[in-house]
Amino acid sequence: MSDPFESYSDLDDLAEQLASDDAGERRVAVMELADLGDPQAIPLLARAMADKDAGVRLQVARALESYDGPAAAAVLVTALTDPDKEVASAASESAAELKDPASADPLFPLVEHTSPFVRASALRALKELRRKESLKPALQALRDSDPQVRVQAVGVVGFLKLEEAVPALKSAAADPDPLVRRAAISALTFSHTQTATETIAKGLADSDWMVREIAAETLGSAHGEGAAAQLLATLSDPFWQVRLKTIRSLGKLKHKPAIKGISEALGHAQANLRKEAAAALGEIGDPSAKPALEAVADDPDPDVRKNIRWALQQIAIKAAASA
Amino acid sequence: MTLDAIVDGISEVACDVLVIGGGTAGPMAALKAKQKNPKANVILLEKANVKRSGAISMGMDGLNNAVIPGYATPEQYTKEITIANDGIVNQKAVLKYAQNCYKIIEELDSYGIRFLKNENGDFAVKKVHHIGTYVLPMPNGETVKKALYRQLRRARLLISNRYMATRLLTGTDGRVAGAIAVNTRTSEFLVIKAKSVILCMGAAGRLGLPTSGYMYGTYENAANAGDGYAMAYHAGAALANLECFQINPLIKDYNGPACAYVAGPFGAYTANNEGARFIECDYWSGQMMLEFFNELQSGKGPVFLKLNHLHEDTIKEIETILHKVERPTRGLFHEGRGTDYRREMIEMHISEIGFCSGHSASGVFVDDFGRTTIPGLYAAGDMASVPHNYMLGAFTNGAIAGEDAAEYAANVDFASFDAGAVALEKERVLAPTKREDGIPPNQIEYKTRRLVNDYLQPPKVTRKYELGQTRLAEVRDDLENRMMVRNSHELMRALEAHSILDCADMAAFASLYRTESRWGLYHLRTDFPHKNDEDWFCHTLLSKKDGRMACEKRAVDPYVVPIAEDERDLYDKQRIRASA
Amino acid sequence: MPLAPTFTTVPVVVDDAKCIAEKGCTVCVDVCPLDVLRISDTTGKAYMAYDECWYCMPCEADCPTGAVKVNIPYLLK
Ligand SMILES: Cc1cc2nc3c(=O)[nH]c(=O)nc-3n(C[C@H](O)[C@H](O)[C@H](O)COP(=O)(O)OP(=O)(O)OC[C@H]3O[C@@H](n4cnc5c(N)ncnc54)[C@H](O)[C@@H]3O)c2cc1C
Ligand code: SF4
Ligand code: SF4
Repeated sequence: MSDPFESYSDLDDLAEQLASDDAGERRVAVMELADLGDPQAIPLLARAMADKDAGVRLQVARALESYDGPAAAAVLVTALTDPDKEVASAASESAAELKDPASADPLFPLVEHTSPFVRASALRALKELRRKESLKPALQALRDSDPQVRVQAVGVVGFLKLEEAVPALKSAAADPDPLVRRAAISALTFSHTQTATETIAKGLADSDWMVREIAAETLGSAHGEGAAAQLLATLSDPFWQVRLKTIRSLGKLKHKPAIKGISEALGHAQANLRKEAAAALGEIGDPSAKPALEAVADDPDPDVRKNIRWALQQIAIKAAASA
Repeated sequence: MTLDAIVDGISEVACDVLVIGGGTAGPMAALKAKQKNPKANVILLEKANVKRSGAISMGMDGLNNAVIPGYATPEQYTKEITIANDGIVNQKAVLKYAQNCYKIIEELDSYGIRFLKNENGDFAVKKVHHIGTYVLPMPNGETVKKALYRQLRRARLLISNRYMATRLLTGTDGRVAGAIAVNTRTSEFLVIKAKSVILCMGAAGRLGLPTSGYMYGTYENAANAGDGYAMAYHAGAALANLECFQINPLIKDYNGPACAYVAGPFGAYTANNEGARFIECDYWSGQMMLEFFNELQSGKGPVFLKLNHLHEDTIKEIETILHKVERPTRGLFHEGRGTDYRREMIEMHISEIGFCSGHSASGVFVDDFGRTTIPGLYAAGDMASVPHNYMLGAFTNGAIAGEDAAEYAANVDFASFDAGAVALEKERVLAPTKREDGIPPNQIEYKTRRLVNDYLQPPKVTRKYELGQTRLAEVRDDLENRMMVRNSHELMRALEAHSILDCADMAAFASLYRTESRWGLYHLRTDFPHKNDEDWFCHTLLSKKDGRMACEKRAVDPYVVPIAEDERDLYDKQRIRASA
Repeated sequence: MPLAPTFTTVPVVVDDAKCIAEKGCTVCVDVCPLDVLRISDTTGKAYMAYDECWYCMPCEADCPTGAVKVNIPYLLK
């Protein structure tokens, strides 16, 4: 009877198979190297990365997903710069799974590679590795000509959460590309400096609705009274999606002056917005919102009704507590 | 050579900890058992191939129940799960999950599984409603299983693929002694002696029959035929609240998940034919499914997933998530039909019944360490009784059970068991291979499952249930005396037919025992339409006693997180509105 | 026992020209949770041996050469 357990292939056998004349057989060997889970497989993968057959190289790029550390990252560097597009994009996906901070070293030089794809992929991988040395190249990449590279550079900077990088993120928030502006605003979430709050608040007037949306959302995370006052303006944003996030943030910040503006949304045609308005009024918990809530207590939407009931209950609880 | 020819053979191995089922909970249990005691011999046994087995074979689009500091507290989560389950929960186990799951998220993150993060690298938890925030999307969720498999290979665990466990071995002293498995491609037997055994065999996903015309649904992993429930039952373990079925909302005809969990935070919702929301209930629960069912039956049905009020950019984002991870065929389905989220609402329906604590509550009865009522036997994931587990519960409770099982195994010797048990099991398993003529397993299975739909699908009617039991007994006679298979693959299906029939019998028996209605649609008995806390505020435990099915009541342990009277009241008031 | 071979279409299609099963690849057969794929004795290529699909697609996703295609069958359309 055959062995009931999954086998762990022998490295020497696989090395031999990698030398086969048949590309298909070499490819199968690479797949087994992936399953091995043994770092000793990495030198063999490095050798296979020089294969003339693009299919074999593709398999190596995928196999590297199973490995971490500088040696694996070094092979990924070769794969990322492969002339075959499929190989390079598989390498990019594998690189995004690296977790060992030491994997960053071989990636650093790629931030200045001639191909924007390579630059963006390297930065994307560097994000998770959170190495302080990434800051300098990332700051430089914020001025890259390619917007995808700039988006990833913002991520690298943002993941490091360094106050010293706030001014750079501020400039990124004025980037010509909306995706970069969105990322920059999200990257400022951590900082509660005035510059950060002001930069995010500026995003509330952006020409792109999704930038305004993220700005409204971000301001809700403890950016204080000043932020709340700024949010009053987007209560009348032409996009209900932006108003929704605005209302949610105003609720989180418990901003009483917003009660009137939020109450107006209780009559909006979009049920999602009415629901959010009711919930926010509950979060604020001020009795002055009571009449507006009671007036719409029989809203046709059950979720809205539920949130109205909850809001009225919150107001009652707070009133009882302060009495 | 004939395909999957039947080979005569048997071998025996021994280990400290045996984990059965290498889907979600299983790999984590095995890994943690090994980490807890690196000297321990741990075997992971799987019917399919651990690389891509289980509910998460193609990944998941997010965590439904992540208790992350700053967004929700373990106490709050425990409270909500208690209310969603009409109070019948073992709070200690739920709380323990809630306290441990964040650690597991961080660990999964370190394996390279990518969760949604904001540009500061913090988890981007999505808000679903004001009560608690538990949804954490996984934009590259398709890598989950691979990342997990990688960890197993690194730890050099013993993995045994394509072995289907059929029965547990119990020791003469009442402890667990191991398990018997059969190879799904050769029919060779494997006897595994073990000091502790962890059952992680997933839901009973092939209980009701899907409407597609196929027997393998698009929702639950069809390899999960309820073998775990059946094995626990035959070993004498107690199973809790089996009458609390699982019924899921799904996309009509595709039969796959609708994933309102994912689309919800983006603003999508479940609507009736007027495009209006109708669900009153706050939680994914039997109550919610009852509201769904009522709307389907009413003039306002059918029910739809509504996204067409969302912005183009938002829809694109949802499509990338829903059509790539979890069930990638969903995109193909919409494409084939020409349905477009932008233009029209997507018709939904409800699923056939199943057992699954992942989304519901029934399963092998366990305490807060995953221990069943048999010493040394553990259960985790969709087949254990901790309610609303989902994927993260499978991981977390698998980890908890793995550690405890390793510790248990370190302190005991192998239980001795009756050698005759193996021979008897071999005979039972191989019986359909010995017949020259008979009924193919797919017909036995089809008939069982059609009967489940006809007689057991709620609302539950006593007379129908009794008739169903009679019909199922007739099928059992055919299964035991006339089923025939020609190769090893069919033998696997035949063994699954056994499990399915056992589960159907348990579903009927448990449902008749609880003479009240509870958990919304899951246990809606037309002749006992009301909830009766006086007599039925308890678990029901089903087990095999003297060779027969028996049920008993078990008190709900005192709450560790108290639920105020008015909180329960508020919830009941919502329900009255809903049924009005 | 009299048997009838019933005409049916299976959802999984393998492109024989791309499949490298004869080089030792068995990935799709290995990853299928329902164990319905096999390597054919006659062609040496992978094929769907049993019509018991769950439409989960790892066979397609993991095939190194892109030889596997999972179709939605008529009854699910
Ligand atoms: C379509 C779908 C969508 C879901 N979406 C989400 C989501 O978005 N978020 C979330 O948190 N949760 C989700 N869930 C729930 C979550 O995936 C499950 O709760 C969880 O994965 C269950 O883990 P498990 O280990 O109990 O079962 P599984 O992962 O299914 O593993 C069970 C394993 O046991 C094996 N097995 C069965 N019988 C035997 C036997 N006799 N012998 C040996 N092995 C056997 C099976 O092959 C399988 O590998 C979803 C579930 C499904 C089905
Ligand atoms: S995975 Fe692809 S190449 Fe390998 S056997 Fe299957 S079809 Fe052939
Ligand atoms: S889609 Fe899933 S069940 Fe169907 S053949 Fe592929 S792997 Fe197997």
